[in-house]
This record gives sequence, structure tokens and C-alpha cells, in this order.
Amino acid sequence: MPGSAPSLTLVAKAESLAPATEFVRKGAREAKLPESRIGELDLLIEEILMNIARYAYPASAPGMVTVTYSIAAPGELTVEVGDRGVAFDPLAADPPDLTLDLEHRPIGGLGIFMLRSFAKSLTYRREQGWNRLTFGISANP
Amino acid sequence: MGHPCSTVTFERTQVGEKIVLHVVGRMDAENAVQFERQCESCIADGCRTLIVDLADLAYVSSMGLRSVVTVAKKLRDKGGDLRLCRLTGLVRQVFEITRLNQIFPPHESVESALMEG
Repeated sequence: MPGSAPSLTLVAKAESLAPATEFVRKGAREAKLPESRIGELDLLIEEILMNIARYAYPASAPGMVTVTYSIAAPGELTVEVGDRGVAFDPLAADPPDLTLDLEHRPIGGLGIFMLRSFAKSLTYRREQGWNRLTFGISANP
Repeated sequence: MGHPCSTVTFERTQVGEKIVLHVVGRMDAENAVQFERQCESCIADGCRTLIVDLADLAYVSSMGLRSVVTVAKKLRDKGGDLRLCRLTGLVRQVFEITRLNQIFPPHESVESALMEG
């Protein structure tokens, strides 16, 4: 993203969810996304941030996460989340088996699937030790 | 726009041997565990049929779903049942996308959830 894009760097932990959410909502207001899209925006940032908080860094050495947003056009918000943790491409993750009954359903494992389901666009790249995950959200579903 | 700080509150109503838990607010990474605690308290009090009224739940993330599945498994292990009712908007969409609506066929009313079985 361009160097001038608004950016926020936080410790990669669950407590950073509230400030990260507030930050991308600011982007949503600037992009003039309607209120009806905010729930999905919250979901996307939560699923990404919590995944990084839980898996990107060893518990003994927590790292940082950087959230950046840009507005290509009114109603078009793009958010990039970067971390320097273990390489992880959510686009390459196996999809969960959604046909299993309650007894056989795992307790978790739906976060990445929800991310992929709700993002209008989703790209991943690994560069110079960074995971960079970018998603788009639009005024219209 | 609402404040991103997440809150959830619960209202518990005993109906015979069943409990209706009305959930108000959001179920996300910060507070899904509160839902689990509420449900566990109901189970500890002997409840085996727990009806969760989601009419006023505005948001659920994968962490919230995790709590719902956890509670449902605990109840099932005890021969009980978790029933969901009155899902709306984004919450309904999340249950549909993850096909949890097939495991928890949503009831349109609390009364319908109470009458089942």
C-alpha cells in the first residue's frame, strides 16, 4: 500500500482487537461504507487479528501486527494486515468439512473459512519475512 | 456506528425444566467465554434443554461459534439439547455459511423452540 496510507501497529494479542476494530471502522467512515457493512468488516478484522494473535508468534516472544487501510474509490475500502510471524497463507488452508454432525464437528476451525466467505477480495503475499493479507470490502455486498 | 468495545448481557428464564437464555449484544473473541459460562451455569443447575434466543445478538464471530458448539457438545454428552431461535441479519448469515444451521435448525420463535420434542 502507499506509504501515506493510514496505518496502526499493535501488539499481536487479543487485547488489540478493540483498537484494530476502531481503526478500520474509521476507514469505513472515510470510505463512506454504509452501516450495514460494519458487521462484516468487524468479522474480517477479528478473524485475521485473532489468527495472528494465536498462531503467528511463539507465546514466549509476542510480535507486532500492522493494520493499514486505503480507499480506492468511495465505497471501496481495502485493508492490509501484516505480521512478521511464521509464514501462513490462509488461502491455501484446507476448507473445513461443513457436513459433519455435532458429534464429529471440531470445536473450532471456522475462522479462516469465514474470512474467505465474507471478504469481497482476499490476497496473500509473503515478502521479506512479512505475511501480508489484504482484503476488500465494498458498499454493496 | 457503535463503539467497538464489545458487550454481551444475558437474561435467563426458567420455563418448566427448560431454560431460555436471551443473549443481547455481541459474541466475539473478547466475550464468547461469558456465553459459555452462562450456559455452563444452566447445565450445572440441572438444565438439559437450553433454548438460546438470539433475536438481540448483533454479531457472532468464529469464537462465538466455537462457544456454541462447545456448549452443544456438553449438553449432548448429558443427553441434553441446545436449541437456537430468532436468528437475524449477520448472525443468521454466519450460521448459514458455516452450515451450523443444519446442526441447529433455527426456530422462528421461543415458543416453537420450547414445544419441540
